[in-house]
Amino acid sequence: MGALIKQEVYKQFHKRGWLIATVIMVLGQIGFGVWGKMQPKWFPADALVSEDYIMGEIVIFIAVASTASIVSMEYQYGTMKQLLYRQYYRSQVFVSKIITVLLQLAFLQVVACATTFILTLILHPSYDWLAEVGGTTTLETYFKRVGGDLLVDLLLLSVVLMLSTLFKSNAAAIATGLVGYFLITLAATLLLVAIGYWHWLKWNPFTFLLVGAQILNPNMAHSTFMSTETMIAGTLVYTVVFGFIAYLSFRKRSI
Amino acid sequence: MGTILTVDHLDKSFGKRQVLHGVDFFVEEGHIVALVGPNGAGKSTIMKAILGLIPVNGGGVDIKGQPVSITSHQALRNVGALIEYPGIYPFMTGRQQLALFANQHGKAKNVETIIAAMGMGKYIDLPAKSYSLGMKQKLGIAQALVNDPKLVILDEPMNGLDPQAVKDLRDLLRNLAARGTSILISSHILSELEKLADDVLILNHGQIIKHSTMADLEQQGGVGYTIEVGNIDQAKAAMAMANHPFETVGNAIILTHAAAGDLNHALYALVQGGVAIVSITQQSDDLEGAFLDMVNADGGEA
Repeated sequence: MGALIKQEVYKQFHKRGWLIATVIMVLGQIGFGVWGKMQPKWFPADALVSEDYIMGEIVIFIAVASTASIVSMEYQYGTMKQLLYRQYYRSQVFVSKIITVLLQLAFLQVVACATTFILTLILHPSYDWLAEVGGTTTLETYFKRVGGDLLVDLLLLSVVLMLSTLFKSNAAAIATGLVGYFLITLAATLLLVAIGYWHWLKWNPFTFLLVGAQILNPNMAHSTFMSTETMIAGTLVYTVVFGFIAYLSFRKRSI
Repeated sequence: MGTILTVDHLDKSFGKRQVLHGVDFFVEEGHIVALVGPNGAGKSTIMKAILGLIPVNGGGVDIKGQPVSITSHQALRNVGALIEYPGIYPFMTGRQQLALFANQHGKAKNVETIIAAMGMGKYIDLPAKSYSLGMKQKLGIAQALVNDPKLVILDEPMNGLDPQAVKDLRDLLRNLAARGTSILISSHILSELEKLADDVLILNHGQIIKHSTMADLEQQGGVGYTIEVGNIDQAKAAMAMANHPFETVGNAIILTHAAAGDLNHALYALVQGGVAIVSITQQSDDLEGAFLDMVNADGGEA
């Protein structure tokens, strides 16, 4: 398994697209940081820091594009046979891809967070990470936001992975992943209205995309009709379920 | 030398269409075995089954006594393969791709050796998306060989290779076999297989119709003739009267493995019997001749 993960990471490392996107993300964070320094009325430091200097939020787009292609590229390039005829099983190949996706997501998030901390240190040295707002320090709130985003990212990526196992073309998988992202997040917001009328609708997977928002604002429980703990558990359960469906689809596909 | 690969009564269907019917054969260590057959005969299906890439409906495969199936891959540890066409990551160079698969087995040092053996030095550091068909084919073969496999499965490896590259590949495979590597190879270039293989498997309609050594096939060979006649019944009677061995296909008398003078004797018998001779065709009983004879005798191509 270690060799398979190493192999997947090696491939991702040589796919320049997401590395270039990561550099663009960092440059964008720097750009917004400098712009915010010059125009603090437009971009207050608090807002910039809590949102990873705006561009840090594109972590999910990079991860969606990368996840969408991690399986489909093997079919597009005809390399799936080479992966599968060796001493490994389909399940191992699939798990190695999931681990690579998680490592990549973690890497992107660490880069976004590190850039935020460094920029804040340089551009806003007096920024008080330990200032308390509503009984929570700014630093705690920041990490709650990052944690919530990661949970949402996991759920979205499991859906994207599931869809990508159906495609033989990278471009189709990536396009579907990104369009799917917007549709799903839009659906999640609209669903809140419907949940107000039919409470049982809260169990649909899209509701759990609001877990990040509820972690930051527990009052959202009045709209989702679920406790934050239930939302977190539900998000993880749906992530596993979609991941498992993705595996079944991957296993069934002919070579 | 023992047996490295055993294929035992392999059956495979795609939907209602059965493509393999009880395929049985073995490959001995250090042997190069040619798997030949018409398009659609089942060659790639057999190779995929050996590599545990597809489920089978009956029978089994084992490599060095270890079973191989879609859920049992341990025996594939020392197997290298190129199936149908080379899988290439276009965003990597050839060297990076070889390193990718060599690293998997801790055989990074083999990368330089295989690059030199395949004559890929000039372009190995270019992105693979710029490679020609032949370059990709060489890279695919190199990927199959980079881990020093004990068993190599090559499906149409000569596709797209120039004559020099075909010769280089032949020499490389012969050297590998001399060092104990077993090779199962399919190709439509039968003249190349004839120069390369120790054993031959002829496949038609999903069945092995001949398993022979190349030496036996050559020994059995000779020159054959097809004599097309006006009236086949009259011709059969004339040949029987002359007590001359023959076979028939349609309106033709076939003389296989004909010795010197056999054609004269047969023609004499036919003329004596008043048979009109329409045409005479000569075939040499090389692999191609044997292949065509056997496939035709088996009811034509798959």
